Amino acid sequence: MHAFAVSGKGGTGKTVLSALIVRELVKRGVVLAIDADPDSNLPEALGVDTERTIGDIREELLQKKYKLPPEYTKDVWLEGKTYEILSENDGFDLLVMGRPEGPECYCMVNNLLRRIMDMLTANYDYTVIDSEAGLEHISRRTTIGVQDMIVVADGSQRSFDTAVRIKKLTEELKARFDHLYVVLNSNKDRPADTARAEETGLSFLGSIPYDPEIEKACYQGVPLPEHSRAGQAVHQLLEEIL
Amino acid sequence: MAEEFPVEIGVVYEGERIRKQNMQVELGGTKVDYKAELVQCRPMDEIEDGKVIVKGKDLKDMEEGGRYPLVILVEVAGEQVERDLEAVIERRIHDFSNYIEGFMHVNQRYDIWCRVSKSSFRKGFNSFTFLGQALGKLFKAELPIIEKIQITILTEEEDVKPFVENARGIYEARDARARELSDDDVDEFYGCVLCQSFAPTHVCAITPDRISLCGAINWFDGRAAARVDPKGPNFKIEKGEFIDKEKFEYTGINKVVQEKSLGENQRFWLHTMFGFPHTSCGCFEAIAFYIPEVEGIGICHRNYRGETVIGVPFSTLATQTGGGKQLDGFLGIAIEYMRSPKFFITDGGWNRIVWIPKFIKEQVKDAIPEELYDKIATEEITTDVDELKQFLDEQDHPVKERWEAAVLEAEELEVVPVGEAFAGTRLILKNARIHADKVIIRRR
Repeated sequence: MHAFAVSGKGGTGKTVLSALIVRELVKRGVVLAIDADPDSNLPEALGVDTERTIGDIREELLQKKYKLPPEYTKDVWLEGKTYEILSENDGFDLLVMGRPEGPECYCMVNNLLRRIMDMLTANYDYTVIDSEAGLEHISRRTTIGVQDMIVVADGSQRSFDTAVRIKKLTEELKARFDHLYVVLNSNKDRPADTARAEETGLSFLGSIPYDPEIEKACYQGVPLPEHSRAGQAVHQLLEEIL
Repeated sequence: MAEEFPVEIGVVYEGERIRKQNMQVELGGTKVDYKAELVQCRPMDEIEDGKVIVKGKDLKDMEEGGRYPLVILVEVAGEQVERDLEAVIERRIHDFSNYIEGFMHVNQRYDIWCRVSKSSFRKGFNSFTFLGQALGKLFKAELPIIEKIQITILTEEEDVKPFVENARGIYEARDARARELSDDDVDEFYGCVLCQSFAPTHVCAITPDRISLCGAINWFDGRAAARVDPKGPNFKIEKGEFIDKEKFEYTGINKVVQEKSLGENQRFWLHTMFGFPHTSCGCFEAIAFYIPEVEGIGICHRNYRGETVIGVPFSTLATQTGGGKQLDGFLGIAIEYMRSPKFFITDGGWNRIVWIPKFIKEQVKDAIPEELYDKIATEEITTDVDELKQFLDEQDHPVKERWEAAVLEAEELEVVPVGEAFAGTRLILKNARIHADKVIIRRR
């Protein structure tokens, strides 16, 4: 199993890149797509309907923890629910993490989820995680076990700053990935951007060109087109690293 | 053992998920109304060892991609096989059936959800007889107390439906027995150190009468987790010797407390908040706090907003109580613990509870002795200790009996001040005689 995580500053195009990566990987094997952004948009980008999230069932378990029959243990309940909410599609399954934690204690439920997720991901050739914006997925180590971390930058200085911060935090927390990449998204052919991406210290994987078809799909809130210039660029990037 | 079987059987297949695209058939699951699995103990002469009965459509007769009802009935016999073990044996159906290549089993009881993969079907896994035989062999190999095993698979709704309806009654009777389970009925307890990442000396002792402080792990959850991963954060505690029957002290728990608290704590008294109480992590659902003015115990839950009867909010109490310290008179608990027959039994149980927020009072109403219900104050009655004392006096709360006897006889008294301003401070008063009409502490 090869796991990718896509992260970066908000608005740089993490979800679009994640969806394009899923579309590409489906041609190579069976994919598990995980939408780890609480503001979940990956299902829509992939053209998939999902009803419930891990956040929903986690809350449900905490709500009914005293109501389950004593011998109906919580590990079994949670495993069953996780499988139930997994959206099954041609070539890929999709799991939406959903709402963040509330004030209660999540030690037990997250411990159970870790084991379930480890078991689940082992069933796929590829896992693609669309991370939430910012750095929390690294500090909370939810992206542990990921081989390739891809940070998306859109050419803005702030998006490069975020990439640098992700690299720094990764080193501090020893949350090592095999590769820490930076990808330029919606690149408007400013050659200087490539140099700026390289200056971040992350390995520069390449650029995804600005694509009006993608922009249109995002604007309309419809699934990304099956074939696109951007998709072709993602194909090239993956050819390099797989 | 796999040679006579069409597909492989082994632990490596555990966790194997059959995706819809690779699914030959689906059995049970949310889209099928009736499905169940059940283990029943039988007398030795009532079952035939190794027999597998398949009634209804067999796998090879099922439509590709179809969904069907399913019953897996496992009947076992053996000199040491008792009814109490039925649930434990039943749980293993999940493990063992998942050992079969191309068979997925999720959930339990009336919720089971299974799939058979196309690839295993093609290899020859086309009859439930094989499922029954594999289960029979695995059960006998892994649980030697089973001397005879007979397995029945039903797949027609007309058979499955009445079976499930009858099984529900069996599960309910089993649940009722499980709810009655007490510390005295078991040989082992369970420990939990999930919270050690922020309370490094804390360990939860989980017993049938004492749920974890977060309320999330009961004795059955502990047992399940310890079996899946014995070296993980939930582990078995041998009960050891029951050395103090009033304080509920067990040598087995003490040993684990010493080890897991890294020597910080030596012993736990299970059902008290004084002396050597259980420690508190940070995840507790509620905090019990001793109110010296009335010799009683107050309880406040995490979502309670406002001040408690001792003038501080939950957050302040939590700062004081949490972190894995052993504190006389402050203890994190699960709300469900208030339903335990051993709830603070050493300290007088419900007779000692004087103040709880209305929310908890409603929630655990059925557990509060009827004659006490109106005698316990809530925030609607008062959030002031003097008023509380007056209320308890008027209501003739049983805690009053302690007031006359309340002569301080302690040779050494430890006073731990509440509040962030005092965090980390510990006052020790030796041979103290204190009389104060009022102590006023002001915020700087």
